[in-house]
Amino acid sequence: MSPTPSLLNPGRIRDARQEPNLAVECDYAIVGSGAGGSVAAAVLAESGARVMVVEEGGHYTRRDFNMQEAWAYETLYQDHGNRATEDLSIVILQGRAVGGGTTVNWTSSFRTPDRTLALWAARHGLSGLDAAALAPHFAAVEARLSIREGNPDDVNANNRKLLEGARKLGWNPELIRRSVKGCARLGYCGMGCPLDAKQTAALTYIPDALAAGAHVFTNARVKLIETDRGRAKGVVCDVKDPNSTRPKRFVVYARRGVLLAGGAINTPALLLRSKIVNASQTLGQRTFLHPTVPLVAYYDEPIEGFYGAPQSVACHHFADRGDRVGYFLETAPVHPMLSAVALSGFGDSHRRAMERLAHAQATIALLIDGHHDDPGGRVRADPDDRIRIDYPLTPALREAAVDAINNMARLQLAAGAREVVTLHENPIVIRSEADLAQVDGAAFGPNRHTLFSAHQMGGAAMGTDRATSVVDARGRHHEIDNLWVVDGSIFPTSLGVNPQLSIYAHARLFATEIAQRH
Amino acid sequence: MTISRRGFLKKGLIGGAILAGGGVLALMAAPGKRTRAPHGPLAVLTPYEYAIFSAAAARLCPGDGAAGWPTAEALQTGDKLDALLAQLHPGAARDFKRLLHVFESAVTGLTSTGTPRPFTRCSPAQQDRRLEVWRHARVELFRSGYQAMKRLAHALYYSSPQIYERVGYPGPPVVPQSPP
Repeated sequence: MSPTPSLLNPGRIRDARQEPNLAVECDYAIVGSGAGGSVAAAVLAESGARVMVVEEGGHYTRRDFNMQEAWAYETLYQDHGNRATEDLSIVILQGRAVGGGTTVNWTSSFRTPDRTLALWAARHGLSGLDAAALAPHFAAVEARLSIREGNPDDVNANNRKLLEGARKLGWNPELIRRSVKGCARLGYCGMGCPLDAKQTAALTYIPDALAAGAHVFTNARVKLIETDRGRAKGVVCDVKDPNSTRPKRFVVYARRGVLLAGGAINTPALLLRSKIVNASQTLGQRTFLHPTVPLVAYYDEPIEGFYGAPQSVACHHFADRGDRVGYFLETAPVHPMLSAVALSGFGDSHRRAMERLAHAQATIALLIDGHHDDPGGRVRADPDDRIRIDYPLTPALREAAVDAINNMARLQLAAGAREVVTLHENPIVIRSEADLAQVDGAAFGPNRHTLFSAHQMGGAAMGTDRATSVVDARGRHHEIDNLWVVDGSIFPTSLGVNPQLSIYAHARLFATEIAQRH
Repeated sequence: MTISRRGFLKKGLIGGAILAGGGVLALMAAPGKRTRAPHGPLAVLTPYEYAIFSAAAARLCPGDGAAGWPTAEALQTGDKLDALLAQLHPGAARDFKRLLHVFESAVTGLTSTGTPRPFTRCSPAQQDRRLEVWRHARVELFRSGYQAMKRLAHALYYSSPQIYERVGYPGPPVVPQSPP
């Protein structure tokens, strides 16, 4: 193992493929450089600890962000833009680069809803984690990411239709707070911001961590967590060696502890691969995706949903539906590739839909999974490192999806749409309220309707009961004293809002308390 | 959008039967056509697999008959697929290659549309019919297979700047680069 005198301040981002050392040593190894990993790295490094972050993806900057879907999805997303549930019924968009999901998300920033925290306390036995404990961390993150009140000037035509339709129907839409500074509203948040206006982890907490001496190793995929007598010792990484067909092995030894922030799906898979003791047997289970149902409306006037802030309006009117699964409404950008994949059909019918792209408005309904009896999905890790995600579309989710399609159509008609077209494989054209009756009878199940997910949560849930959770209310693993999870895996249910800000705040709280220990 | 699927051909008796039957009968039936050739060396696909995907992409994407649209072949969707598969987990690439052979199989044609021909030897109308049957199949496995091919073909085709004008998309704005 190499000594680490060169790792003293300041730190830097290093490509593990060029790294001469085969092993390095630090106090804390952090897996992943997204929302959770970046803020934890900054907090721990600023406390004086020697921190090394290991990132599976590469380091890209505004000069790389060319606003081309072909490059962006292949380069900046998990599985090169091809992640999905096992049956392909849900396309999963998840970041993979320095900055993680924050590099490609659409900037929407919400605090964890009180009712979600209350649910975790009441149903999942999570004590000691409430709004008061999180509040200072939310405030600190909001300040660092320049999150301010929603700006009406951010609302493009795509979002304006959501705003107008929801207002007409009395559904109380709200402007979304965004993590931006000097945003020019180009519309390419999902492909990396070419102006550095989006305040990603790569522009905020990663530089903070580097300034305090942390190092980030890129292009290093953590294969295993090494443990010894109930303690985490470090992480073993595979690094693709351009000069060899075999990956190079790179080890980060951690004297004090290991923090996992590879995101929901990757973190549970890493724990499973590492065969970490799991008394509860819940590891990888209760994975939540906010399964997202899109609906397209066509207007006489151009919408040009490819330009402008992708998300600036949300509607939570249907978030609480009592005993039924709730959902909330937002919009999605309308770029050619993403739209082509989402639109059903092929050949001429698909081409005709694509020819109307400039007039298309896309509203999405995000189903709030896990708040009822719906079990969510399950992450599995194969011996050959392949990750599998099973996610059953239960009758409760189907009911919510059908209700959401109906209400999104009502909203779009209220906003003046000429027609609304569902994304069933047998699309339904809705021109009036009378047409909605067809939606109830339409087939809805795996690959019968387009679904995607941009929010991954759960799989290594927090809880006080070791029988039903993986980590405690501060992210510490129940069985391994110096192993923490600081990403979206910890959430016992889905959040009911976009998760970026909640992941930052929880990770900051956890890291602050870890720092106080040493 | 992943093209991988656990045991795409192992899951369920029908999938397994089709694979087994397809393997045997594919040998007995007329070989598929390889009219579409790659533009360069292939990393993952065989020339035959390339031809199968390219034939499917030609029907899934506009261009074969749609005035003013480039063909899937002109946008090199098959070549782009090969490059993408080379980056994915080897198991995912393997699954997709298997899918292509099942989709191509004359047995699949017989059981799904009543046309006992390899996909690459079918007429465009017969090819569309097979895609439609898979798209709406009761057997979940077929629907997944259709979606794998459809999403990949559309992603590779519609991410090409050559189609921007056709869909009314002016393309990304020009962003002045300030000094670092």
